[in-house]
Amino acid sequence: MKSTPYNLIMSALYNGKKGSRPPAASVTSIVCHDLMDASGVSFPEAHVNSEAMAELALAGHEIIGFDTVMPEYSVHQEAAALGCDVDWGSRDQMPDSRNAPYADFSDVIIPENILEKPSMRVVLDAISKLRRHVGGRVAIIGKVMGPWTLSYHMAGTQNLLLQVGLGEKDKVVKMLRQLMPVTIAFAKAQFQAGADIVVLADHATGNLVGSYHYKDYLLAIHQEITSQIEGPLILHVCGNCLDRIELFADAGFDGYNFEWQVDSKVAVAKVGHRICLVGNVNNAQTLLQGTPDDVRKQVRYAVEAGVNIIAPECAIPLTTPIENLKALVAAVHEGY
Amino acid sequence: MTGTLEQIKQAVISGKHKEIETLVQTAVDEKVDLSSIINTALIDGMDVVGQQFASGEIFVPEMLIAALTMQKGLAVIKPLLKGKDSKSKGTVLIGTVKGDLHDIGKNLVSMMLEGAGFQVVDLGVNLGVEQLVDKVTEIKPDILGLSTLLTTTMPEMQKVISVMRQRGLRSSVKIMVGGAPVDAHFAEKIGADGYAKDAAGAVQLARKLVSGN
Repeated sequence: MKSTPYNLIMSALYNGKKGSRPPAASVTSIVCHDLMDASGVSFPEAHVNSEAMAELALAGHEIIGFDTVMPEYSVHQEAAALGCDVDWGSRDQMPDSRNAPYADFSDVIIPENILEKPSMRVVLDAISKLRRHVGGRVAIIGKVMGPWTLSYHMAGTQNLLLQVGLGEKDKVVKMLRQLMPVTIAFAKAQFQAGADIVVLADHATGNLVGSYHYKDYLLAIHQEITSQIEGPLILHVCGNCLDRIELFADAGFDGYNFEWQVDSKVAVAKVGHRICLVGNVNNAQTLLQGTPDDVRKQVRYAVEAGVNIIAPECAIPLTTPIENLKALVAAVHEGY
Repeated sequence: MTGTLEQIKQAVISGKHKEIETLVQTAVDEKVDLSSIINTALIDGMDVVGQQFASGEIFVPEMLIAALTMQKGLAVIKPLLKGKDSKSKGTVLIGTVKGDLHDIGKNLVSMMLEGAGFQVVDLGVNLGVEQLVDKVTEIKPDILGLSTLLTTTMPEMQKVISVMRQRGLRSSVKIMVGGAPVDAHFAEKIGADGYAKDAAGAVQLARKLVSGN
């Protein structure tokens, strides 16, 4: 019996059930110059135009062979809707915010029609287009930012971390709680638009903050978020998060996208029975600078360790050679 | 070490930014040698903080407060150094490469280098190759420090070094690189003189690069 990409991803997500082979997923951006050239769709159009967004996501499946389509490449869709002045970048540059509108930690004003703001609508429309095109056959992945990442955008990253250092917990938690409904509303809307899974990126990054910060500031909020969103959620947090990986499982996420710095055998031993592990092919050294054989070795190591879904550890560098992404897919097709 | 110096060092380590100015002023009033206040108390305190960060005991929020504390302490001493022999250990031009607006790591490195006696010219973020190379020509620093957080912008570092080679500037300045996706292998590959994994390591590297050892 031959499984579809959709079935492989969904069965791997739910309790790590094995299909005929491990699936390969694009839970963060897998867009590189080669893929833009091959598909004829480029940044920044693919951040702001739903047709271009969907086309580029589809190229990740049709040209490279990922078992998923994921149409959101930036981390600034919500930030733009919340009042950040977002520079949508260029073919060579990812989007970024030019300002932090709530650096003074005043009350965040959430627009009533936030889901209709262009930067949010474009993602929902792209997901619906993908649903019509590949729904039920290829897993459609949406993406939302969690309140910690949104607070970086609202207050400025250094400013937020400084307040944490100063022990201004009330101030920080107030902002997190004001932003939490945006995360929930956008995730629910993405499921309604046709997403099968939503990635929740919340950059309480290893090396930047500690597990004690995650526990003090974010764990309870993540538990509320996961209890209010019914569809499957994959958490993405960069950096070495081995010290808090069990807390991610406690938070109620269905999956966790982790980095190469965490040994996949150790991750599987710690939480493999509680959460679907997604990762963890290294970006900088392997996908960007390595050979297809280097990529294959990492994929096979992760598969043998018991990682459920194979994926890059984070958004890939734009100059990543497409051959290395194809090598990732080829390596999962070798089976278990 | 005198009691006050030890108290200053501990204040930096535990980020007591509200108390540091009074403590440093007390040391000044006690006629403690100014260079001892800087080197034995403030810089040594920051070195301990750097070690704690490197070993994962503390994280960026605590590091930022420690750096803030050190800066406040230095601000008390700086006016007193005017006219005295306070030779800079070297000039460091530092910035985050084009396409990257992240600056926490770069800011921490700047603060630590300043504390360690370097003159730091911080150019900010999202710096184009031409902009960086022009500034190297203008300022003639001893060290150029390049930072990136994003894997998407790593290739920009290589471009800067290539253009400096083309213009015959490469041998006039040491280049150190850092940031989450960067490692020693990458630094070597693009032709940088060194890589440091964190702010404390960057200070050690800068000391090594200017000493020529």
